[in-house]
Amino acid sequence: MAKNIEVSNGPTDKIYYVTRISLLFAFVLVFFSEINPARIMTQMNKNMSLLTTALSYDRIVVNIKYEINHNYIFKSDIYSLMAASAIMVAGILILAVAACISLGNLRMKRISNYVTLGGSAAVIFGVYRMIVTHRLYRAIDAEISEIVGFKMATEKLPTALFLMLGFAIIEFLCAVILMIAQPRPARDEKCEMSTRYKLFIMALPFLGLTFIFSYLPLYGWRYAFFDYKAGPGTLSMNDFVGFKWFKLLVDNAMMRSDIIRVMKNTLIMSGLGLATSWVAMAFAIFLSEIKNGVFRRIVQVLTTIPNFISWVLVYAIAFAIFSNEGFVNNMLTRITGVVHDHIYLTDESMLYVKMLLWGMWKGVGWSAIIYIAGISGIDQQLYEAATVDGAGRFQKMWHVTLPGLIPTYSVMLLMAVAGILSNGMDQYLVFSNAKTKSALEVLDLYVYTLGIGSGKIPLSTVIGMLKTLVSVTLLFMANGISKLVRGESII
Amino acid sequence: MALTKQEKLDKKAERAYYRKHKPHVKLTGADIVFYVFDYLVFGLFAIICFFPFYYLFINTVSDSEMVARGAVNFYPIGFTLKHYKDMLALGDLGRAFIVTISRTVIGTALMVMASAFCGYLMTKNEMWNKKFWYRFLVITMYFNAGLIPGYTNMLMLGLTDNYLGYIIPAIVQPFNIILVKTYIESIPAELEESAFIDGASYMMIFRKLILPLSKPILATIAIFGAVGHWNSFMDSVINMQNSPKLQTLQHKLYIWLNQSSNIGAVIDTGRSASEIEKIVNQLNSGTVIKYTIAMVTVLPILLVYPWMQKYFEKGIMLGAVKG
Repeated sequence: MAKNIEVSNGPTDKIYYVTRISLLFAFVLVFFSEINPARIMTQMNKNMSLLTTALSYDRIVVNIKYEINHNYIFKSDIYSLMAASAIMVAGILILAVAACISLGNLRMKRISNYVTLGGSAAVIFGVYRMIVTHRLYRAIDAEISEIVGFKMATEKLPTALFLMLGFAIIEFLCAVILMIAQPRPARDEKCEMSTRYKLFIMALPFLGLTFIFSYLPLYGWRYAFFDYKAGPGTLSMNDFVGFKWFKLLVDNAMMRSDIIRVMKNTLIMSGLGLATSWVAMAFAIFLSEIKNGVFRRIVQVLTTIPNFISWVLVYAIAFAIFSNEGFVNNMLTRITGVVHDHIYLTDESMLYVKMLLWGMWKGVGWSAIIYIAGISGIDQQLYEAATVDGAGRFQKMWHVTLPGLIPTYSVMLLMAVAGILSNGMDQYLVFSNAKTKSALEVLDLYVYTLGIGSGKIPLSTVIGMLKTLVSVTLLFMANGISKLVRGESII
Repeated sequence: MALTKQEKLDKKAERAYYRKHKPHVKLTGADIVFYVFDYLVFGLFAIICFFPFYYLFINTVSDSEMVARGAVNFYPIGFTLKHYKDMLALGDLGRAFIVTISRTVIGTALMVMASAFCGYLMTKNEMWNKKFWYRFLVITMYFNAGLIPGYTNMLMLGLTDNYLGYIIPAIVQPFNIILVKTYIESIPAELEESAFIDGASYMMIFRKLILPLSKPILATIAIFGAVGHWNSFMDSVINMQNSPKLQTLQHKLYIWLNQSSNIGAVIDTGRSASEIEKIVNQLNSGTVIKYTIAMVTVLPILLVYPWMQKYFEKGIMLGAVKG
C-alpha cells in the first residue's frame, strides 16, 4: 500500500537537518519560561513562557494591576508586548507547517521554501516589534519610574530574544540557499508525499497534545531543586538549592511527623482496599448462583450505578443520610422516641472503616462485572463433571468457579499493589472537615493541600515526584512478577 | 449480528417451550436456605445502593418544613416542585449547568473523534517510526508528573481560569486510543485493501469505512468520556480557582455542601439562642436546596445509565483484555 516516492535531491537535502534542528530550538523558546524571549518587563510573572505572553493578558498584568487601573501604564503598552509575542509564535507555527510540507517530494519542498521564508520573516518581525516595545517601556520608565517605584523595562533585552532572532535568520538563509541550489522539479510533477510521512503528519497533532499535557509537566520537577518565591523574575541559578527540600522532609521534625501520618493513612486505606478486594469476586460468585435472570439484572444495574457518580455526589448522599437531620437520625428518633441528632460526618471514630465502606458501596458492584464475565467463560462441562463426582454447591464454587477466576483476580491484585500510593484525592477531599482531616489526609490530598492550599510549591513537588517514581517502580515490579509467574505482562 | 425476523420468532418459541417444560429440580432444605439467604443479601445490597438516590428525590419534592422535621423518609409529603424553581433562581447555578453540559458535549465529541482517528492511524504500520510514536502515546498512562507540575504547566499554557482548560487536555486519551486501535485491528483487513485498490485515500477510508464499522466501540468510549466530563471535579477545583463563572456543577455542589458544615461548626461553638435559631432556619431551607442541586446533578446519570449498561459493561471487558 505504501508508495515510495522518496528520491534523493543531492546535497541540498542535508540543509533540512539544519532547518529542523533550529526549529526545534525555536519551539523550546516558546514553551520554557526561563528562556522567554518576551521577558522585557521586570514585573512579569516567572511562570510566563512566550506562549503565555502571547495568550494571556490577565497573567501579564497580574503584578501591575494597580498601575494599569491608575493609568500609569496603558493597556495598549501591554497589548504591544502581546502582539509581538503572538507574531513570533505564529511565525514558528508557520515554520512548523513548512517543515511538515518539506517532507514531501521536490515540488512540495519548493513550496515549503516559500513558507519558511514567510515564517522566518514573521519571527524576525516579531523580534523587531519586541525591541520596539522594549524602547517604549524605556520611555515609560523615564516618565513614571519615580512615581510607581519600579522600572518597567529590563536592563537588557533577554538573551533568548537574540537566540530567537538567530534561529529565524538561520531558517531564512537556509530557505534562500535551498531556493537557489535545489534542482527544479519536473514540469509535470505533482505535489506528493510518501505514505509514511503523510501518516505521521496526520498523527502529529495528537502526538503534540500528548507531549504538551503529559511530557511537558515533567519540566515542572525543576521546582523540587529550586527555592521558589512567588513574584516577578525567573528561577535563576542563584535560587538553586540542590536537595534542600528532600533533606527538609527527613530533618524537620514537623515535616517528618506529617509525612509519617500521611503515609500511615495512605497505607491503611490502600491496605484495607487490598484486604477486601476479594469481596467483588465473592459478589460475582454468589450473584451467579441466582437463576432468576430479571432479579439478577436488576441487582446488577442498581449496584453498579454508584460507580458512575462522582465523590462529591457520594458526599451529598452521605450528607442526606447521615447528617444531623438525615435519614439515620430520623429513624433512630422515631424508633427510640428520643431525639437523635448525631452528626456522623464529623465523627472521627472508625474513619478508615467508614471510608472503606463508602469505597465498597461505590465500587463493588462494578468491579464484580469482570468476574461475572469470567464465570460465564468457565466451561460448563467442568460443573457437570463435578456434579457427577458428587460435589455440592459450595464445593463447586470452591473447586471450579474460584480457580477459574483466580488469574483475573491476581492481575487485579497486582495492579492494586502497584497503585498502593495512589488512593486518589476526591474521596478524602470531600469527606474531610476540621475534625476528620488529619486521619483522612492521604498522600494525594497532602500534595494538594501543601501545594495549592498553602503554596509550598517546591515541597509538594518533591513529594509528588517521589510518589510518581515509587509508583512507576512498583508498577514495573508488578509487571515483572506477572511475567515471571504467568508469562504475561499486565501493562 | 442482527437477527432476522424468523430467527427472532424461533428464539421466542424456544423460550416459550422451555418455560412450559421446565425441568423440575427438587430443592433440598439446604438449597432453600441458601437461596433465601442469597436473594436477601443481594436484595438488601441493591436497596442500599439505590435507596439514597430515592431518599434524595423524595426530599426534593416534599414540603421543606416536613423535610426539616425529618418526616420525609419513605414517601414524599406535601408534593411540590418549589425547590426546583428556587434552585433555578440561584443565578450562578444556571451558568454552572451550561459550563458542565457544554464541556460534556464538546469534550466528548472531540475526544471520540480524536480517539477514532488516532486509533486508526496507529493501526498503520507503514507510518514513519510507528512503533516509537505508539509507545510515546501509550506510556503516558503509567506515569504522571504530579499535581503541582501539572498545574504550573496549565498556568504556563494559559489554560487556567480558561474554559478551554476543560476541553483541550482531555482530547487525547491513550487508553481510548488503544481500545479503538484494538477494535479496528479486528476488522478484516481485506475490506480496507479493496478500498485502497479502488483508489480511496486514508481519509476517505477512515470516513466511509472505519468510522461506521467502529461505531460500537466509539459509543462505549463516548459514554465513558461523557460520564468522566460530567463528574469531573478536581480540574475545576484546581484550575478554575479564581473564576467562579467557569466552575462546574460538581464544584458548585461541593461548595454548597461545604457551606453547611461551616454553619454546623458555628453552631458548635456556642452562640445566643436567637442567633442559633436564625442559623438553623437558614440551614433548613438550605438543606433542601442542597438536596435539589445534588438530585439535578445525579439525574442525567440515573436516567441514562440503565439503558446504556451494556455499553458500560463492554467497556470494562475491553479494558480488561488490553489493560
